[in-house]
Amino acid sequence: MAPAKPRPAGRASVAKVQSLPDKTFIIDNGAYTMKAGYAPNHLAPDDQADELSACSDISNAIVKTRGNRTFVGSQLNTHVTDWNEMSFRRPVEKGYIVNWEAQKEIWEHSFFDEKTVRSKDLRIHDPEETTLLLTEAPNALPMLQKNADEIIMEEWGFGGYLRCVGPPLNAWNDVQSLFGDPIVQEADPIATPRECLLVVDSGYSHTIVTPVYKGQPLQRAIRRLDLGGKHLTNYLKEIVSIRQYNMVDETYIMNEVKEAVCFVSTNFAGDMGQTWKGNRKRGLPDLSEGVMVDYVLPDPNAGKKGFMRPHDPLFNAKKRKGGLSGASAEALSEDALVLGNERFAVPEILFTPSDIGMKQAGIPDIIMQCLSVLPTGLHPAFLANVLVVGGNSLLPGFVERLETELRQLASAECAVRVRCPQDPIRSTWSGASRFATNKAEMRKVAITRQEYQEHGSSWAARKFAGAL
Amino acid sequence: MYRVELLPTGSTTHLTPGWTYVPDRGFDPAKAAITPAIGRKRGIRDPGRADLSSRQNNAIVRHLAELDRENHHDLQIPIPTKGKDAARGSRGKVTSNVRRILQSQKTFRNYLDDEEAALAQQASTTVPGTSSAQQSATASTSTPSHRASLSKITKPGTTTTTSSFSSLQTLHRTRNSSAILLPRLDSNNPRRRRHVHGHHHHHHLPQNPNELIKTPHDNDPLLKSYLPPAPSDRIMQMLLAEPPLTYNASRAGAPMSRRSPRYFCCMCGYWGKIRCKNCHLRTCGLDCYKVHEDSRCGAFF
Repeated sequence: MAPAKPRPAGRASVAKVQSLPDKTFIIDNGAYTMKAGYAPNHLAPDDQADELSACSDISNAIVKTRGNRTFVGSQLNTHVTDWNEMSFRRPVEKGYIVNWEAQKEIWEHSFFDEKTVRSKDLRIHDPEETTLLLTEAPNALPMLQKNADEIIMEEWGFGGYLRCVGPPLNAWNDVQSLFGDPIVQEADPIATPRECLLVVDSGYSHTIVTPVYKGQPLQRAIRRLDLGGKHLTNYLKEIVSIRQYNMVDETYIMNEVKEAVCFVSTNFAGDMGQTWKGNRKRGLPDLSEGVMVDYVLPDPNAGKKGFMRPHDPLFNAKKRKGGLSGASAEALSEDALVLGNERFAVPEILFTPSDIGMKQAGIPDIIMQCLSVLPTGLHPAFLANVLVVGGNSLLPGFVERLETELRQLASAECAVRVRCPQDPIRSTWSGASRFATNKAEMRKVAITRQEYQEHGSSWAARKFAGAL
Repeated sequence: MYRVELLPTGSTTHLTPGWTYVPDRGFDPAKAAITPAIGRKRGIRDPGRADLSSRQNNAIVRHLAELDRENHHDLQIPIPTKGKDAARGSRGKVTSNVRRILQSQKTFRNYLDDEEAALAQQASTTVPGTSSAQQSATASTSTPSHRASLSKITKPGTTTTTSSFSSLQTLHRTRNSSAILLPRLDSNNPRRRRHVHGHHHHHHLPQNPNELIKTPHDNDPLLKSYLPPAPSDRIMQMLLAEPPLTYNASRAGAPMSRRSPRYFCCMCGYWGKIRCKNCHLRTCGLDCYKVHEDSRCGAFF
C-alpha cells in the first residue's frame, strides 16, 4: 500500500517544507466548547498559566432564548441574561462535526468576522498565511473527515492544515511534573511527547480511552463509552423533574446545577445511606448534612445567579413564619432544589452504566478492556500514566474514584497513577500548542494549500490517516 | 442468519386454517388468545416470564435516546441572518463541494448508516484475507459475544483477593492469546504452554473452537508478541501503523467483571427494594410505593 508511489510523495513533502505558514491556529473543536487560539512560536517557559493565556474557550452552539432571540458562540457569555428555557443547536454531534452550516457560522462569528471576534488574538486575519490545526475525536467517520477537509481548504483556504486526533496531543504536555517524575533538563528545549500515556477524555458527548505511544494513538485499543457530560445533565434534569420541579426545558440551568453540586462518590453505599429520608423519621442522627444541599435557582428578573448552600431542613417552616412576620421578600421569592443522592448518583453512571440499564462497562473496566488488546509489556507503563482530561474530570472525586477502582482491577505488580491536569478542558489545546512549536514534527504531518489543490481531498484524508 | 419474513401480498389475508403468522410483541392480554405459546394465567400472574426483557430493553433504549438529546423538544434554530457583509473570511467563490456540505442536513445517524452500508458492501465484495493488518485489527476487537464468553470464564472464584488476582492474570493471558490471534503452541516457550494447559484444565472448555486453530497468521511477527518485558520497536511500529477501527468497533463492550445490577427507587433514588407488581418499577419502601401507586404507576402492561 505505502510504497506505491514513493518518489512523488517524497518530493511533494520536500516542496511543502518551505511553504507551511509560520503562524499556527489551533482549534480543539469540542461539542460543548471550542478551545481556540494561536500557538506560541517557541516553547514557553514552565508556566502553564502563561501558556494557556492564548487559549479561549467559546461555546460551540447557536442558542435561542425564550424571547426568541438567537445568539452565536461567545455571545452566550456576554449578551444573554435570561437562561431560562434556552435551547441549543450544536454543530458537533457525538463528538464529530456534522452540521457545517452551523459550524461555519460559529467559526466565522468567532474567528473571522472582525466585528464579532472577541479579541484580536482570536482573529484569523489571513487564512492563507495561517496553518490550521484542528482536532477530531478518534474513530471518526471518513465521510465526515472528508467534509471537514474540503470545507476548510476550499471555503477558507488555509495555507497549511492538519487534522489530527485530539487525545494523543496531551502527551506533548509537561506530564512529567504532573506525575512527579524526575524532569530531565535538556539544554535545548524542544517539545517531545511522553512515551506512554493513557488518556481518558471524558467530554460532553462521550468518554474515550486512548493509549498514546510517543504521541501517537494505538488505534486498536481505543475504546469509547457513549456517556458524557450531556447525559449527566439530562439525567439530572430528568430526576429533578420527577422528584421536584419540572426542569425539562432548563438544560442550561441544570448544567450549572450539575457543575455546582455533583461529585463522584468514593463510598456509594455509604453516601446513599446518609441521604436516606428515613433517617430523620426514625430519630436517627441526621447524617445527611454533609451530602444534602440546596441549590437556589437563578432569578432572571432580579438578575441573580444560582448558587449552592448547605441544606436547611427547616427552611420551608422558616419561610412560612417569615411570610407571616413580613421578613425579607428576597428569601420568600427564591426557589431551591434540594439535592441529596442525585449529587452522586448522576455521575455514578460513568462508572456503572448498568445503573441506567446500559450494557457498556464503566470507565475503569474500559481501561482494562483497552489494555487487554495490547501487549502485556505495555500494561505497567500505561497504568502508571493515566491522564484524565475533559470537563467531567472536574467533578470532585473523579480522579480518586478512578484510581481506586483501577487499583482493584489491575494486577498487583503494576503501579496505578491517575492524574488530572490543572486545566483538563484546555489540556488538549495546550498539548497541541506545544506540538506546534516543534516545527519539524508539524511539517511531517501537515499539508499545505498547494498540496491540497494538487492532490485533492482523498489524498489529504490518506495523509492524515498516516498512510502516506 | 435465517429470517422468516412474510411479504405483504396485497388483498389476500391469511386465512389459512390451522395456523397464522403473528408478530411476537410479548404478552398482550388483548391478543393472548392468539398467542397460545404463553399460558393466559401465567402471563397475568407472572408477566416477567413472557417477554419483559425486550420491553425493558425498549424502555432502556428510549431512555438512553432521551439522555442523548440536546433539547427536550425538537426544534429548528435557523442560522441568524445578518447583513450580507463581504468582510467575512470566505471569499466570494463557493466550490461545489462546499455548497454540498453546507446544504447537507444529514445527521450523525445518517452518516453512520451510510458508513455501515458501505462497509457491509465492501465486506461482501472483497475477498477476505487481503490485508493482514486489517484482519488482525478486526479480529482483535472481536465480537461482544466473544468478550462475554471470556468474562464468563473468569467469573467463578473471583471472591477472594488472591484468587481474583490470579484470575485477573489468566484473564490477561486468555484475552491476550485470543486477542493476538491464537498463536500456535511454541515448544520453546514453556510459560505459554503451561498457561494454555492450565487454561484447559481449570475451565473445562475443551470444546472452545477458538483454541489452537492453525491460521496463516501464526507466523506473523505481530502475533508472537507475548512478552512480559516491553515489546520491541518493530511491534510498536506495527501497532502504530494499524488503521483506526470503525466507529462501532471502538465502542466499549460489556463489563468484564460482572457485578449484580443495582436498582434504585424510582421516586427518591434510594435502593429499590420492592418492585411494583404492575409496572415493575422499583421503590424503596411503602412510602414511595404509595405515592407511586397513586400517581405514577403506568399499569397498562
